[in-house]
Amino acid sequence: MGAVHGDHDRHHLPRTGTSLRVGIGGPVGSGKTELVACLCETLSAELSVVAVTNDVFTTEDAAILARRAVLPLERIVGVQTGCCPHTAIRDDISENLDTVEELERRFDPDLVLVESGGDNLTATFSRALVDVQIFVIDVAGGDKVPRKGGPGITTSDLLVINKTDLAPLVGADLSVMARDAAVMRGDLPTVFTSLRHDPEAPQVVEFLRSRLRSKV
Amino acid sequence: MRSALLLLADGRLPSGGHAHSGGVEAAVVDGRITDLGSLEAFLVARLRTVGLTEAAVAAATTHRAGEHLAELDAEADARTVAEPLRAASRRLGRQLARVAGRCWPHPVFVALPDDAHQPVVLGACGIATGLVVEEVADLAVHHALTTPAQAAVRLLGLDPFAVAALVADLAPVAAGVAAVAVASAEGPIEDLPAPSGPRFEIAAVEHAGRDARLFAT
Repeated sequence: MGAVHGDHDRHHLPRTGTSLRVGIGGPVGSGKTELVACLCETLSAELSVVAVTNDVFTTEDAAILARRAVLPLERIVGVQTGCCPHTAIRDDISENLDTVEELERRFDPDLVLVESGGDNLTATFSRALVDVQIFVIDVAGGDKVPRKGGPGITTSDLLVINKTDLAPLVGADLSVMARDAAVMRGDLPTVFTSLRHDPEAPQVVEFLRSRLRSKV
Repeated sequence: MRSALLLLADGRLPSGGHAHSGGVEAAVVDGRITDLGSLEAFLVARLRTVGLTEAAVAAATTHRAGEHLAELDAEADARTVAEPLRAASRRLGRQLARVAGRCWPHPVFVALPDDAHQPVVLGACGIATGLVVEEVADLAVHHALTTPAQAAVRLLGLDPFAVAALVADLAPVAAGVAAVAVASAEGPIEDLPAPSGPRFEIAAVEHAGRDARLFAT
């Protein structure tokens, strides 16, 4: 935005907060809400965290987070996406941005987690909404998912392949997934998790810690 | 080419509208809209109530060229009875101001009251882009018609071509509503049209209290 816009435009003030905004996207059932819950549980003791959820049925994910009491209720907000989860995180981010800014004004958080509604492999976050995006897929979706590509797989800052504990049950070959992910993503990192067995999600937490450090 | 008019009419302008159904989701849940015929009745009723109110405030705002913004916003507030609709109107106003302020920087966006209602912000957009009052009224009516129509396509799986044709067929109704709004724009602000549909207001409150909803309003 050029200086010429500045004087006449108080509705688009430059960001003044220091929060790291993290988008978490991925297909339905891959473990996005679980990852948000795990991150809140692991990080909220040391960091100020808020969460915005974009569930298709709006309050479902927010309600799950609230029931698990991973954050105080006022720090979790669900927004409606009018049947279009990808529109709300990419094409018209106003509803999410409005909510994120309101939470930032109220809590001055270190970390803002924006969870997308479950979508397909074409979903991706606008860079005007989040600083970093994590894409979550799962082993049970089949070991061919990484090679199918799509912006979530090819361009996300971190690819999380969840539910590794199910690999033997669904006949998924993790080495195939790792190899395909490396081909599709180049130097971008990929981690394997089993949030059910390892809810502290240490690799994801370490990724976020390093992004938080480089932001300061 | 009237670029600003076309952009402001375009549902792809990122101004938050996609999250709203204009009361259609509540009406679908209640069984008041089930098919094309009941959708038409809903759209006509909505145009003549909420549509007229919004178009009148927007047109009056553009007509006043930046004067009396606080009074116009207070009149919009008085005409938006249900609390969820008031909150949504202010939120949509913020969202429209965000994108319009980027597209067409203008002092009127600074002069707007905090969290101004969406029709007031739309009127301000008219001022910032040099639209005439008739164009601003048309814009308000256009969105009052197309927002619920689009939501009905998504919620009921209606034939999208049939819904597009219905919206086109309602052009005379829409034009009539816009004409009333334009005619009222020069009169006293407190005399702006204030038709309301109590069922819309009640349904909006019920909708806001529901657990599973796809649209904000």
